[in-house]
Amino acid sequence: MNLQRWLLWLVVVAVAVAGSGALDGYAVHTLDVALIFAILAVGLSLTQGVAGQINLAQVAVFGISGYTTAVLTTTFHWDFWATLPVSVLLALAAGLLLGLPALRMQSHYLGIVTLGLAIAFSSFAANAPLLGGAAGISNIPSPGLLGISFNTDHQYFYLLLGALVLGLLYADFIRGSGLGLRLRAMRDDHVAAAAIGIHVAAMRVAAFAFGALFAGLAGNLYAGLIGYVSPDTFSIFVMFELLAMMMIGGRQSIYGSAAGAILVIVAQSLLINFQNYAQLGYGVLQVAVVVAAPMGLAGLAYRTWRLARTRHASGTTVQIAPYAGRLAQADPVAAIDGTVIGVTGLSKRFGALRALDDVTLDIHGGVIQGIVGPNGSGKTTLFNVLTGLYRADGGTVTVLGVNVLRRRPDQLSQIGVARTFQNVRLFRSLSVLENTQVGIRRSGRLWEYAVAPWRGAARDREARRKALEILDGLGLSAVAKQLPGELPYGLQRRVEIARALAGEPRLLLLDEPAAGLNGDEVRELGDILRDVRRVGVNVVLIEHNMSLVMSLCDRVAVLNFGQLLIESEPAIVSHDPAVVEAYLGRRAAVAGAPVTVG
Amino acid sequence: MLDIGKRAGTRYVLVAGSIIALVAACSPTATNPPAGSAAATSAPAGSAGATASAGASSSGPIKIAIIDAQSGQLSSLGADEVQGVTLAVNAANAAGGIDGRQIQLQTFDDKGDPTTSTNVAQAVVSGGYIFVFGPAESTDTIAVAPILNKAQIPLITSGQSDAIANLHDPFVFLNTPTSSAFDSTLATYAVTTKGYKSIAMISNNDSYGKSEHDAFLTALKALGVTPVADQVVTPDQKDFSSALTSIRQTNPQALFIGAEEVESGLIVNQAKSLGLTAQIIGGAPILAVPFLQTAGPNADGCIGTSPYIGNNVNDQTKAFAAAIQKAYGATPDLHQAKAYDGAQIVILALKQTHGQGGKALADAIRATKYNGLVGSFSFDADGVGVHQTQLAVIQNGQAVPLQ
Amino acid sequence: MEVFVQTVVGGLTFGAIYALVALGFSLIYRTMALVNFAHGDVLMLGAYLGSTMILSFRLPVAVAMVASTLLTAAVGIGIERILRPLENKDLDLMLIGTLGFGIVLQSGAIIVWGTAGQAVRIPFGAAPIDIAGIIVQPYDLMILVAAAAIGTALYLFLGRTKLGLAMQASAMDFQAASAMGIDVGRMNAIAFAIGSALAAIAGNLAAPLLYVEPTVGVSLGIRAFAAAMLGGFGSIPGAIVGGLAIGLLDSFATGMFQGYGEVVTFVTFALLISLRPTGIFGEHTISRV
Repeated sequence: MNLQRWLLWLVVVAVAVAGSGALDGYAVHTLDVALIFAILAVGLSLTQGVAGQINLAQVAVFGISGYTTAVLTTTFHWDFWATLPVSVLLALAAGLLLGLPALRMQSHYLGIVTLGLAIAFSSFAANAPLLGGAAGISNIPSPGLLGISFNTDHQYFYLLLGALVLGLLYADFIRGSGLGLRLRAMRDDHVAAAAIGIHVAAMRVAAFAFGALFAGLAGNLYAGLIGYVSPDTFSIFVMFELLAMMMIGGRQSIYGSAAGAILVIVAQSLLINFQNYAQLGYGVLQVAVVVAAPMGLAGLAYRTWRLARTRHASGTTVQIAPYAGRLAQADPVAAIDGTVIGVTGLSKRFGALRALDDVTLDIHGGVIQGIVGPNGSGKTTLFNVLTGLYRADGGTVTVLGVNVLRRRPDQLSQIGVARTFQNVRLFRSLSVLENTQVGIRRSGRLWEYAVAPWRGAARDREARRKALEILDGLGLSAVAKQLPGELPYGLQRRVEIARALAGEPRLLLLDEPAAGLNGDEVRELGDILRDVRRVGVNVVLIEHNMSLVMSLCDRVAVLNFGQLLIESEPAIVSHDPAVVEAYLGRRAAVAGAPVTVG
Repeated sequence: MLDIGKRAGTRYVLVAGSIIALVAACSPTATNPPAGSAAATSAPAGSAGATASAGASSSGPIKIAIIDAQSGQLSSLGADEVQGVTLAVNAANAAGGIDGRQIQLQTFDDKGDPTTSTNVAQAVVSGGYIFVFGPAESTDTIAVAPILNKAQIPLITSGQSDAIANLHDPFVFLNTPTSSAFDSTLATYAVTTKGYKSIAMISNNDSYGKSEHDAFLTALKALGVTPVADQVVTPDQKDFSSALTSIRQTNPQALFIGAEEVESGLIVNQAKSLGLTAQIIGGAPILAVPFLQTAGPNADGCIGTSPYIGNNVNDQTKAFAAAIQKAYGATPDLHQAKAYDGAQIVILALKQTHGQGGKALADAIRATKYNGLVGSFSFDADGVGVHQTQLAVIQNGQAVPLQ
Repeated sequence: MEVFVQTVVGGLTFGAIYALVALGFSLIYRTMALVNFAHGDVLMLGAYLGSTMILSFRLPVAVAMVASTLLTAAVGIGIERILRPLENKDLDLMLIGTLGFGIVLQSGAIIVWGTAGQAVRIPFGAAPIDIAGIIVQPYDLMILVAAAAIGTALYLFLGRTKLGLAMQASAMDFQAASAMGIDVGRMNAIAFAIGSALAAIAGNLAAPLLYVEPTVGVSLGIRAFAAAMLGGFGSIPGAIVGGLAIGLLDSFATGMFQGYGEVVTFVTFALLISLRPTGIFGEHTISRV
């Protein structure tokens, strides 16, 4: 998003110049407050915009940090700068605690719980004698540095500007890194994210931790600037204002959120004389932004830029290369001789409905296995059990030698299970390249990004290179920068396969990969899957396209009403009377017609 | 079955909207001017042209700021303060102002939020204002005091928390007694005059309630009495069954309430309905209009203490009430009265300094003696001007001085 | 023991108020997929209309209540038109959008009615009922009965009447519902009208127990929202149970922990939801994971 970065740096420079002394005390003070809220907004954007975790308690973390600074400096007479690491650490701890509800619930539940905890904090601060009760803590000393005392708003301005710039750089790095990709993938589709190996729970806690980091910084600097904290300083009304700032600026954009905060505070200060009508107008603005521009100003800017870009570039149609068989040149995967998937007596119920009924099935290495059956026969349910999405009610299931019963989807992905979905589940806000890159195994570890960013960045470069290779192998290089929503359906399916292969799987499960494809595309799909098998990856696919199944699969299993009818070679299966009855009805079975639905 | 077609639906909305507008227009408080109206500023007549620059200026209008909550939960306090101040300032301006210079008032909305009030304070500092009325909220006052102190801009606040006096800030003045004054009067009455031995307390934990609680407790201790119950509630609380039933079990002779007007009214209602017969005693909120409205007939017999008992006490208050009624169509109480007194004092002080602000103005205010609606002002080093309050009892919905 | 039982009585009374408001939240969510944070402010509107009719127009209380409820319902239809783009969006957008609308309502109320509030008295002067030392106000009993009756009526309406089923259908799959001949827009308008009416009724019933001022809906709204979640968002019996539960939780928390009561209430709520994320009766929603 280079345009956004350019714009923001422009704004930063402008603000820096403006704050350098040309403006009077009030304007600088306003900018100071704006910069603090910008830091807060950046943190909130990481948690909510980038990672999709509702966090209405950001203001409480802000408050914990502010109060920590206040108490340490006024009651215990610490030096101001010594309180910074402590405040940030306590804020981090609070953020991690807040991440725990996020493991149990999302969306409006997480919203009301975090909101309630924010109220609880405010109320606690109003009661606790250590925190000064309702009157708060005043006379917090302003910080000094190298002999300079930051006790004028002008001096504080440079301190805050520096903090914001550092914060933006760090947040931008996180967002654009492999970790950021994972957070955004989780936001877009946490089920698919788990399926490609993302530890969703850890990511959620990480999202809160990053937000808390910024809130911790902001809280400490706020205490030093204003010199006074009280429960009202960190009330839920401030939280709602912060949320509005982020929404107006554009919650998925780090820079947008920061800009939104600065804009709103500056606007409020300009309207400082206009009380009630200003409030009314502000409410109208909030509604208008949400209704007309849900991605905020940053979103509007991005949309116009992208529109201009595509309009400029239209005229050349993108050339999609047909699949050229290059996958077969990839490094071979160690073949498995024995059972790849072992299912014994598997049952899965939804209420009274038996989705899977005592299924016993062995799938061996080195074959392409097909799974067919009428709609509602339990095929996708079977896949979901195999990938850890559903927990079986009875029976045992081992995949690649591992008992899946206690495994999370991301754990199964880590041991080599990959899948595609019946309805394409690509991450809609990630480009084709990013979709693939986020699936690359052995990407950076979480702690690397947080503490040793250069290692994380190195891993990201490597992951990107590998992802480009895979895209190239599948003939998708030309659309690497496109968003999935901009691609025709057939290509989206191919991208999903690319993403699945990025994880270097030993087992690839495909759920109706040919649905919606035309004849050429189906043929290409067959070629791709044969090459995948040639490399050593085991392939299992659910399909309705009988000609593909017959030509591609070495063995076929048939499910009907949750039960396994037969598992054998395609030719045998298509003539089996039970199968024919299931598909074509009793009369056809009696008549001896084979199943040849095309 | 209810069948609202699309068109009919719009019609319903329009009709409903007009009815609502009609209803709203006839509502009891609709005649109040919107907060922050520009009624304060009059055309600068005869001023010598030059616009005031930051800091002291010896010609042009004298710029004074009012910082108060004009929106949010505390907005009625802000509106009342604006009324009191503008009444006094308008009269002074009509009489020629200060040495011919008009006083120009500007209201700022701090939304009752400390961060906003510090922003507002900075605006005031940069805007060339030489004095501040407000904030009415104690926490906001504490927030802005250091900023205004640095710029040597005096302020007079309607907050009564002892924490304000404890700032020991030479630029901070109060137009009301502090909680200590209120509650020592009350405690003396309860213990010494009426001889109550068992006194229960119920207060909330915001800055007002806490300061009331602490002041009353201190006053009781000084008289050698320990309360039989000390219940703390939250400012938003609606149901006091638990607290009041616990109190009822201690069979108190008197119940002290340390909460704002509306909450006090709710507490009194629930206390009465639970069969509590203790004498209700409290501070200024007991005598205020929102309490009387909320408690209704339950207010009768309650005793409160305030430097401003009611509008019919003497000629001065009657004239004041008539003036407020004429200007704003509202019935004033303590909030307008103390704001009015504060404004009068500042006007006197400005006359002394010939429109100068800064330390000179602060000193002049401290030196000013004034007999106001809320008492005889004589400022001490901490900025407290009135140290006594009076007692009153509610009879037939009116506050009547207690002998 | 006396304190305990009396606390239960007080908690149930306000719990009934929360239940009524929660009913509106849940209904609007269930039929429109909209989390409406301005619901508390709709309550405020209803309360102001009702109290103005009583105080300024001297209308009998019952008439004022009915009239203000109808008016608020009609306004609700207008609000739905404005908030329609927010339906089915994710929570952030709904939160900010409806909050913004709430600000509009509050500012509007200040502009129209000023910042000073209004007080109305309990409409009938029946003496409190004394049961072995426990005092029960007839008015509070009436509120409980009203909440139960309205809840039951709503439950039957949604589940047994054609209109109610149509409303649910249009929330579950508006395209299919449209294909079945259901006017989805009309369903949403009706849903919002009913939801707003519920808020107005709650506001009118609660007014004598509170003070009608522009921010009266804020703390009520948050608690009612928590109540709706606790009971299972979208569930009608859940709203009732959740409301009563929050009312009791609040009263006991403040009784036992005094000033820290609010802390206890919301931390307990957080723990309860963490234990059972879909609420007591489970969530009746239209979203698919």
